[in-house]
Amino acid sequence: MNSRRPLNRRRRLLLWGVCLVLLAAAMAGSLVLGAARVGWADLWESPIVWHLRLPRVLLAVLCGSALSVCGAAYQSVFRNPLTDPYVLGISSGASLGAALAIVVGLESCLMGVGGCALATGLLTVAAIYRIASIGNRMHTTTLLLTGVCITFLVSAIVSLLMALNQDKMESIIFWTMGSLSAASWADVAAVTPVAAAGILLTAYHGRDLNLLLAGSETARSLGVEVERVKRRLLAATTLMVAFCVSACGVIGFVGLVVPHCVRLAVGWDNRAVIPFSAVAGGLFLLVCDTLARTLLMPAELPVGSLTALVGAPLFIWLLYKNKKRY
Amino acid sequence: MITFDDLSYGYSSTPVLENVTAHIEAGGFYAVMGGNGCGKTTLLRLAAGLLEPRQGRVLVAGRPVGGYTARELAQRVSLVRQHPQTDFEFSAFETVLMGRNPYQRRLQNESEEDWRIVEQCLHQTNTWHLRFAKPGQMSGGELQRVMLARALAQQTPIMLLDEPISNLDIAHQFEILQLLRDINRQQGKTILLVIHDLNMALQYCDNLLLLHSGAVRYQGPIAQGLTPDNIAAVFGVRAQVQNGHIRLSPDTAPPCYPQH
Repeated sequence: MNSRRPLNRRRRLLLWGVCLVLLAAAMAGSLVLGAARVGWADLWESPIVWHLRLPRVLLAVLCGSALSVCGAAYQSVFRNPLTDPYVLGISSGASLGAALAIVVGLESCLMGVGGCALATGLLTVAAIYRIASIGNRMHTTTLLLTGVCITFLVSAIVSLLMALNQDKMESIIFWTMGSLSAASWADVAAVTPVAAAGILLTAYHGRDLNLLLAGSETARSLGVEVERVKRRLLAATTLMVAFCVSACGVIGFVGLVVPHCVRLAVGWDNRAVIPFSAVAGGLFLLVCDTLARTLLMPAELPVGSLTALVGAPLFIWLLYKNKKRY
Repeated sequence: MITFDDLSYGYSSTPVLENVTAHIEAGGFYAVMGGNGCGKTTLLRLAAGLLEPRQGRVLVAGRPVGGYTARELAQRVSLVRQHPQTDFEFSAFETVLMGRNPYQRRLQNESEEDWRIVEQCLHQTNTWHLRFAKPGQMSGGELQRVMLARALAQQTPIMLLDEPISNLDIAHQFEILQLLRDINRQQGKTILLVIHDLNMALQYCDNLLLLHSGAVRYQGPIAQGLTPDNIAAVFGVRAQVQNGHIRLSPDTAPPCYPQH
């Protein structure tokens, strides 16, 4: 009977076990590792762990999960393997807001930079949706192209801001490269509900995403309310990305590559790809961030370059290994 | 079963269908015929709810197509497209399983019945041996049969098929048409089939919906519809009908190219 079922359940269960154990181990490990030495015994009493490392670990897992899930969803909705969570201009919009806040000097306000980033990121995406929707339908190619165009436009403005405010350049660059070093419990509290709700909603639409991958007309004739599902998913993913970016800046590569790695492991069924992307993305960003802050202790590397340094060779190796299958 | 009521449609400014009125009887086996670009595909897409009419309406089982939810319509009407999109990596089995989507609840796994139906549809279309194959590993004809299997798995009373045999070898053309006719006869399904081969249509279909530049030229029993007059008017070729077989010859001499 086994040959009847191409979707292999036992392999998936095994992978679930491996992923969850790895995630738990990575979380425990990165609580202990760091510039300040903390033993296993006084892990829970240490203020460093409690106020710095634990929120940072949680934020890394949350943002990694959310970005990977968004990437997986975008790649199915747009039917394009090159889409990442920032393709609709949210990263550049958020960078603009952050840069403006830094230039004006809102850094000391509560949620100052993050809040501005959130607002401008959402505004940018809203503008792109308006431009690209025809009647009540969204034309995905136009949406992608508009997103790319606006990204270039807004990035140019950010570059100008940097050139004109060279004293603030360093903090703007630090922000646009992404960093989890400023993680606080407030960030965790802001991102958790959005990420959790967004991931659950995307997973709920797993089967719809499969059908969208087969083409929107096919999906429609097989019973998917295409426009409604697209709108709902794009709204949810936009919010997720906006909150992640406002908390930790623009961390690249996670949302692009993790879903592809997951597909190589579990196949193209989004009912598996979405939940696995959530776990694998959290694990991946957590490992990268831990490496970023421990490799050259006490100096800290930008996590955005670590994700690419770790992720690119891993992905190329996977592609090479699966050349025949992919 | 399907009523096209004073239906008009156009892509941007060019009209494709103009004031089409036609009625498709329940349980009928219809050939939809006409020259390239005469609106056959548009007609099927309108009936499948993929397009909204510019004017007039399409009724399926007495209800306007727009009044159904996507799920309800997918339980009643299945569509095999002329050019299936294939740039994804689902196996034939998974592709056919998608046909069960209108009956599945979210977050619920496929039932035993779903597996059984998919297996049966793969066997019916002679694609069981391809169940693990990805679109890139299948030929055009094999893919076309898998897409037909998916439509069969939808188990709808109405099937719309847009040139489902255009890529098939002769043996499979007969096999698929025979399968469609069996389904039509035994299960009483209404079938609309876009087909170009006049003799195949004559042999297998009962009724004809003949379109000519966006309007209905003929609807009724196929034997009375495929007359030399109609064929000449629609396709511009001369036809002779002998013993229920149509012989064709070009109406005009091939175009003369300017001499240098």
